[in-house]
Amino acid sequence: MPPVLKPTTTPVGTTMSSESSKKRKPKVIRSDGAPPEGKRNRSDTEQEGKYYSEEAEMDLRDPGRDYELYKYTCQELQRLMAEIQDLKSRGGKDVAIEIEERRIQSCVHFMTLKKLNRLAHIRLKKGRDQTHEAKQKVDAYHLQLQNLLYEVMHLQKEITKCLEFKSKHEEIDLVSLEEFYEEAPPDISKAEVTMGDPHQQTLARLDWELEQRKRLAEKYCECLSNKEKILKEIEVKKEYLSSLQPRLNSIMQASLPVQEYLFMPFDQAHKQYETARHLPPPLYVLFVQATAYGQACAHMKSSSQPPRQDKTLSVAIEGSVDEAKALFKPPEDSQDDESDSDAEEEQTTKRRRPTLGVQLDDKRKEMLKRHPLSVMLDLKCKDDSVLHLTFFYLMNLNIMTVKAKVTTATELITPISAGDLLSPDSVLSCLYPGDHGKKTPNPANQYQFDKVGILTLSDYVLELGHPYLWVQKLGGLHFPKEQPQQTVIADHSLSASHMETTMKLLKTRVQSRLALHKQFASLEHGIVPVTSDCQYLFPAKVVSRLVKWVTVAHEDYMELHFTKDIVDAGLAGDTNLYYMALVERGTAKLQAAVVLNPGYSSIPPIFQLCLNWKGEKTNSNDDNIRAMESEVNVCYKELCGPWPSHQLLTNQLQRLCVLLDVYLETESHDDSVEGPKEFPQEKMCLRLFRGPSRMKPFKYNHPQGFFSHR
Amino acid sequence: PSRASSSLSLQAEVFQALQRLHMTIFSQSVSPCGKFLAAGNNYGQIAIFSLSAALSSEAKEESKKPVVTFQAHDGPVYSMVSTDRHLLSAGDGEVKAWLWVEMLKKGCKELWCRQPPYRTSLEVPEINALLLVPKENSLILAGGDCQLHTMDLETGTFTRVLRGHTDYIHCLALRERSPEVLSGGEDGAVRLWDLRTAKEVQTIEVYKHEECSRPHNGRWIGCLATDSDWMVCGGGPALTLWHLRSSTPTTIFPMRAPQKHVTFYQDLILSAGQGRCVNQWQLSGELKAQVPGSSPGLLSLSLNQQPAAPECKVLTAAGNSCRVDVFTNLGYRAFSLSF
Repeated sequence: MPPVLKPTTTPVGTTMSSESSKKRKPKVIRSDGAPPEGKRNRSDTEQEGKYYSEEAEMDLRDPGRDYELYKYTCQELQRLMAEIQDLKSRGGKDVAIEIEERRIQSCVHFMTLKKLNRLAHIRLKKGRDQTHEAKQKVDAYHLQLQNLLYEVMHLQKEITKCLEFKSKHEEIDLVSLEEFYEEAPPDISKAEVTMGDPHQQTLARLDWELEQRKRLAEKYCECLSNKEKILKEIEVKKEYLSSLQPRLNSIMQASLPVQEYLFMPFDQAHKQYETARHLPPPLYVLFVQATAYGQACAHMKSSSQPPRQDKTLSVAIEGSVDEAKALFKPPEDSQDDESDSDAEEEQTTKRRRPTLGVQLDDKRKEMLKRHPLSVMLDLKCKDDSVLHLTFFYLMNLNIMTVKAKVTTATELITPISAGDLLSPDSVLSCLYPGDHGKKTPNPANQYQFDKVGILTLSDYVLELGHPYLWVQKLGGLHFPKEQPQQTVIADHSLSASHMETTMKLLKTRVQSRLALHKQFASLEHGIVPVTSDCQYLFPAKVVSRLVKWVTVAHEDYMELHFTKDIVDAGLAGDTNLYYMALVERGTAKLQAAVVLNPGYSSIPPIFQLCLNWKGEKTNSNDDNIRAMESEVNVCYKELCGPWPSHQLLTNQLQRLCVLLDVYLETESHDDSVEGPKEFPQEKMCLRLFRGPSRMKPFKYNHPQGFFSHR
Repeated sequence: PSRASSSLSLQAEVFQALQRLHMTIFSQSVSPCGKFLAAGNNYGQIAIFSLSAALSSEAKEESKKPVVTFQAHDGPVYSMVSTDRHLLSAGDGEVKAWLWVEMLKKGCKELWCRQPPYRTSLEVPEINALLLVPKENSLILAGGDCQLHTMDLETGTFTRVLRGHTDYIHCLALRERSPEVLSGGEDGAVRLWDLRTAKEVQTIEVYKHEECSRPHNGRWIGCLATDSDWMVCGGGPALTLWHLRSSTPTTIFPMRAPQKHVTFYQDLILSAGQGRCVNQWQLSGELKAQVPGSSPGLLSLSLNQQPAAPECKVLTAAGNSCRVDVFTNLGYRAFSLSF
């Protein structure tokens, strides 16, 4: 049942009509509702209580019930409309009243509908307002949220920044933990606090570091002051020493007459030492070591004899001291002489451009320049022959050279073949194996040579002297091949270790050369000098004679057809001396090509033979010629004679004569040839031939005097 | 001190070079296993070379050097033969036996050493030739005392002496079928000995035959070899093939230089002597080939035909040098072993 209004039934029915009515209604509302609304707005709150307010009414009403009311009203209207229609269709007079009544009822209903429409509009508006309000709130919240998120992000960044922060202390190299706890005082280390807390620990360690550094700085200052003090002391002492020198000089002057009187040449020696100060280091080393060795030798001998009478080794310095002094006055100049001179020379090439050859010549001269001072060594041998050695120092090449000269007590007649024996060029060749003194021992020199166009040093050795390796050693210079070093420094111990052996070798070399020299003189006259203590090696009667002894050039030796074996075996180097001997007996001629090693007599001379008799016989076509060679070459040790075996060569030659005798006398007689044998057998032989190669009895047995096979 | 020793070492070096230069290898013998070759030189040293190592594909320079070298005799080692276990070497007056197994070790000592009963003489006669007689397990020695001595290898006693040569004996050869031995010597005769009766059964005085006599070279017989009824010998006289039953020379080989070693090989005759070459002859007297070696003169040839080592089947030649030439086939010299 409708609660408020009695519904008048005129059905207005369709949605279309309701919609059209809705469209109309807002206009109605506006035109209707605007004045009261405007009124209310104008009068505002004061009139609220007094005036009717539809909004307030709306708050009180239930929308659900309004809806019910609306539906009811609509039904009523439909019903009323239907009744009206019904009445009208029936027609009549009373009908009009009834219609009127019903029209009134419908109007009421329309009013109700209008009211409801208005209410609906107000509700809508209110709903909208509420939604808007809520939305604004949500927006505000959203903004707040975003702000907060941003703040969080920023804070996180800050945190990572903090975490990544590198502190300076991490770069400081601290002492290790154990050391720290051991050494640091407890008030810094605070073990109980820091043990568990790495942060505190690091702080403590840093404290300790600072403490230590402070201490060290203090110490440094202390040392500096100490140094200062010592420097001052040195200064004072230097002053004292320099004041001492003139006083000592005057004492020396005063003592001169006393020295002369007592025959003590201290002053002379002193002067030499004074000069020696200007020697370049290698020559100085040589000078000192040679003097020392000379004195040691003199002492060993002089225990019974008066001293300095038979001094075997005397040392002297030659050359101009002033020049040497001039050389060293501006020390910087002489030190980087090379680079400077290079630069200078480059400049000069720009200034004057004379012929290139002259310029190169100057450069070469500069490079091969000798130090103005040289050391003279006189080595006296037993037979009063003297080996004069002059040592030079090539300043720019940093090597030493030597020139040698042999003088004898009595004048020597020089045989032609002995020309090379005592020549300064070869007398000291290969004193040590392979040391021929033609190449520079300093590997750096080759590059220097390349610059100025020197091919090898050997073109200059005649003028400069030979740079033998032992000379460098005596001067304490050592040029290692394996590990080249920047600077080669003269070394006393090296010189000392080589002095004695070298001096002994020099002496034996001179003696053996002199012995050869004498022997060659008689060899050239066809006499093989056999000393009495070697006589037992040979039979009394030797028929074969040496008829020729000449020297041959190395190239000629190499070209001989019967020396190939020796050449192939590498025993014919160009440092050897070569000779040709000719031994004759009757129509037989035996040529012997001899290689004389410079190391004679510890290295034996080597013979290669060629016999011209009934055809040419050499070791390749006659086993007995081969055996003869081996008799002199391999079995040479029995021919050495008494030490130092200077008779080896002559004994070998004498044996060669004996061997030729045996060879010729034992040659089997050809039955088909008429006439007597050319060489009747005079030697006593046990057997003529022996063994598969039919050897002849070449071995002489001394006291019995017969020949046997080896 | 190092300097003094360096000059000493140079001295030793030169001496060694000279020794090598004047070395003569007189004898060779192949081990029973066929893999090793023993060579004896004029200094009394025996060197053992490993043929298998030198012939292998990865042979280096070192494998051409001796495995071991030792001083065996005081004088030259003129002759060597191998039994199935021993190497027998002979030089001045005595024969020594070495165990092949022991020899490859260092410091090897001889197993035994025997001297044939010599008539007293000023000098000890050398032994130039050794010959094994497998049938009676004996060794025949011949050399400087002009006699053939037979030694029983079982007991080591000298059982027989065959006398007849008037000068020293150079070489021996065994006739395979009948127990007969041939010997050739400085006196120019080849003598045929019957071992059963110990008598000389035949003498061929080669130099008396005009075809092969060469008086300027002497009459000595330096080498001989035999094969059934045939015998080849050379030396002072020309290298000649003889028919033994009729004692006539059938082929004279045109070789001027005296030959020091000759051997039958298949249907060839190999000979060597003065001169660098190994000569190969047809039985008809034609020179089939001359293969040059590295030594100026050859003294011994050795054919390694041990069935145990077919890969080491080579011809080796040695003489007036420190090298042993190895010919892998007869055509050319492959390489040289060297002392």
